[in-house]
Amino acid sequence: MLVSSSISAARAAALFLVCLSSLRAQASSPATPPQPVTREVVDEVGRRVRIPVTISRIVSLAPSLTETLYTLGVQDRLVGDTVYCDYPPDAQKKVKVGGAIDPNLEQIAALHPDLVLLTKTLNRLDTVRALDRLGIPSYATDPHTVDQIISSTQKLATVLNVPDAGKSVADDMQRQLAVLNEKLGPLPPKRVLFIVWTEPLISVGKNTFIADALRKAGATSIVDSGQDWPQVSLEEVVHLQPDYLVFASSHSGAADNDFEALANRAGWRILDAVRDRRYAVISDAVNRPAPRIVSAIEDLARQLHPDAFPPALPRERRPAGSTEPLHPEQNPVTMRSMRLPGSTEFSCAR
Amino acid sequence: MRPLTLGRLLLRCSFLAVILFVVVVIALKLGAVQVSLYGLGRDLIRVLLGQSSAISSDYGMIVVDIRLPRILLAIVVGASLSVAGAGFQALLRNPLADPYVLGVSSGAAVGSILALMLENQLALSPEFAGLITPLGAFLGAAITISGVYLLGRREGQMDSNTLLLGGVITMSFLQAIITFLMSTLAGGNLRGASFWLMGSLSTLPPKSLLYLVGIGFVVAAGAIYTTASDLNLLLAGEREAMHLGVDVPRVRIVVYVAASILTAFAVSVSGSIGYVGLLVPHAMRLLFGSDHRMLLPTSAFGGAIAVVIADTIARTVVAPSEISVGAVTALVGAPFFIYLLRRRLS
Amino acid sequence: MSSPLRTPMPSSDQTHPNPQVRLSVEQASYVYAPNPSQAPLFTLEALSFHAKPGEIVAILGPNASGKSTLLKLISGALEPLSGRVFLNGFATHSLPPKIRAQRIALVQQESRLLFPSRAWEFVLQGRHAYGRRLHFESEEDINIAKNALAQVGASHLSDRWMDQISGGEKQRVILARALAQQPLLLLLDEPTLHLDIGAQVDLLDSLRHLAAVNRYTVIVVTHELNLVGEYADRVVLLQKGKCLRVGSPASVYQRELLEQVFQAPLTVEMTVAGRPRVTLLGKT
Repeated sequence: MLVSSSISAARAAALFLVCLSSLRAQASSPATPPQPVTREVVDEVGRRVRIPVTISRIVSLAPSLTETLYTLGVQDRLVGDTVYCDYPPDAQKKVKVGGAIDPNLEQIAALHPDLVLLTKTLNRLDTVRALDRLGIPSYATDPHTVDQIISSTQKLATVLNVPDAGKSVADDMQRQLAVLNEKLGPLPPKRVLFIVWTEPLISVGKNTFIADALRKAGATSIVDSGQDWPQVSLEEVVHLQPDYLVFASSHSGAADNDFEALANRAGWRILDAVRDRRYAVISDAVNRPAPRIVSAIEDLARQLHPDAFPPALPRERRPAGSTEPLHPEQNPVTMRSMRLPGSTEFSCAR
Repeated sequence: MRPLTLGRLLLRCSFLAVILFVVVVIALKLGAVQVSLYGLGRDLIRVLLGQSSAISSDYGMIVVDIRLPRILLAIVVGASLSVAGAGFQALLRNPLADPYVLGVSSGAAVGSILALMLENQLALSPEFAGLITPLGAFLGAAITISGVYLLGRREGQMDSNTLLLGGVITMSFLQAIITFLMSTLAGGNLRGASFWLMGSLSTLPPKSLLYLVGIGFVVAAGAIYTTASDLNLLLAGEREAMHLGVDVPRVRIVVYVAASILTAFAVSVSGSIGYVGLLVPHAMRLLFGSDHRMLLPTSAFGGAIAVVIADTIARTVVAPSEISVGAVTALVGAPFFIYLLRRRLS
Repeated sequence: MSSPLRTPMPSSDQTHPNPQVRLSVEQASYVYAPNPSQAPLFTLEALSFHAKPGEIVAILGPNASGKSTLLKLISGALEPLSGRVFLNGFATHSLPPKIRAQRIALVQQESRLLFPSRAWEFVLQGRHAYGRRLHFESEEDINIAKNALAQVGASHLSDRWMDQISGGEKQRVILARALAQQPLLLLLDEPTLHLDIGAQVDLLDSLRHLAAVNRYTVIVVTHELNLVGEYADRVVLLQKGKCLRVGSPASVYQRELLEQVFQAPLTVEMTVAGRPRVTLLGKT
């Protein structure tokens, strides 16, 4: 027959032989030590996963999960996280396995995790499948409301064998939210536009936890969409005339610049909120479904409903860089120009 | 007068095979995790002897389960794209042709996006779930291939110029559809965009898919190779080729279908990696001449080598993060393309 | 000199009463209409003629007379609308491509090459018709190609690049490729267009010699009156798709007929060898 074709066929056959053998290798999970006792759990996307009873090595593939681990006090078991896991600062010192969307499978495998944590919204299904094929257990969370964040944290704590810490964190969060709810209860919610991106204009959908966080802060998003990251038209926003614009930023200075740039643009100028400079900047903790979101909710509540928070007590510890008004009656503009000194360290919601 | 002989062909191919082997060994060694050559060799021998369970090192698992499939995929994708590129350049008698010029990759992208949307509606068992997207990509490619073929006919026969026009138009149309789908999809699905724009070998495919693509390569590339002598003549013009004994309609169909299948398979597992299908055949022509009996096998090897190298660079240069393979091929390919152009003009 | 190039004769000649006749065009016609509903663009009316081994037949006529169409019918590229074109009893259009290439070789004026090649590579293409689906050239193929180059006096061009030789030299290499096909029928489409007078004469001389030695049947499409008159054994005179006369040059070259076909005043003389010579007169 054709010699060259048979050569390439032989070459292909040799390669497949290698493949076949590695398939057998995978089936016997050579690299893990003799199987510890395992149990089956159901994660938040409905997958049944077998995980070891004792979990001593965890890899987190989402910043929110990294934060949660620290909050639960199990950070010593965290052996690897993504390059985006920057909070708390100690998380930056962990071994990095790449990004959330494209983590480096080799790096994850080399860390020999007992469990890999992911979220449905941030991570990819392909990553989960790849981990399955490598025989590495993975657990996915998928909270859509603030209450679900709380219950998700508690469930995770149970999976990680620290149910007490989980209950404690959950109780704290619920208490803070209850206090907030009391203060904000009678007040009508402010209508806000939560701005994820300006060009194109992207906001959050009603089924996201961010929208729920807004509700807990005494606000309601004017965008009523079933998509997670809907693109909205400026016309629509002008028609709806939100009371406030809300930005999330790790750097309040940057957000202020953003607003200034926006304020000068045609179309945006028509908005009452822009004219009156009614905007709120909160930390980007609101973007992460982790315990710290409660502090961001609280921060937003203070900015939107200053009257509900009388400054009777001496200054409580509050996040640095916050634009919380010291004197609610003052012109909000001058508030923006007050930069509170301090590090970028945020306190935990405890 | 020294025409091509079988001996010369085998010699060149062996030479390239050795280079490929060396490149593969280096690629297996490099990565986010350090592996020693000795340990590597020992583990590979164990795998070939079927003693995979004896691999106890972590590195063994990384190499065998993660790096090796990825490198094998790179080999098949690179070889497929290069052979398809050479085939299309001969079929369309156009040195600027590449595997994507007839819109196959855009069709695959549309197919896979639709499959992704469908996948989110259905809940499938894991074995099938991993195959839905490549299957959708392949179906999208197949439909595009058929559509462009029908568009590319003149007086009932496939005509190179009409085919090229039909392909380019189809590609623009499909690109518009892709943009439309991307902008109306829920945010989660947008993540796939860069995969289709720039290509990626980082998703670990199911083993069955790897086999399928490999077999597809052997069959399709073999089919094109049977027309290698005909392609040499086809370059002079279809009328002349016919008078020299080439069954032009048959050769056109075989090359068109086989090259499209090669592209469709490659694209459905790795997105559109650019410049490989365009430039590797030209590089092989520079080195080994335009005779397709030599060009096709050397392009296959050359493409495999190129993509393995590009992929290795992509996954090690900013480890543990990755840049996409297509970015690497573009960065290297564009200057090389300019060099080729100037050579031709001088 | 060099050995004649030969292929085994094809077997079936039963349909032909006269074994001498190799090419038989019988009432072949063709109509070219891109759109069935529109009027045809061009019609080649039914015509007939025969050609024997060793003969040179000229298809003569002004532009747009149907010469190329007739050549395509003979070469098998087109199927006649009516009538038939037989080569040794086989319809040229129905021959499988490889067999047809072993019987019929076409020499065109120019050859566009996408990627440059050497002259010997070019000539070797002529052997494609004799190889299996994927084959490498054998010793015999190489010898035949060398032979072909020698027969056209182009052996010294063997290693030269095709895009670096002159028009006349290229023409010879193209002819060599046709010879390498070892055909029965050698077709040439306006071969003298780009050649100077000396080269034209050289070419026709070679054709006459090759036809005699290798027993080819040569069909030349041209409008060169004097070359045809000097070298052709038989002339097919066409005008606007109609065959006006078939016969020896002496019988076809009648002054009134030629003047009518070529629309130019001229005179016809006979040379000592019995060949007609045409002299064009200016329009006064």
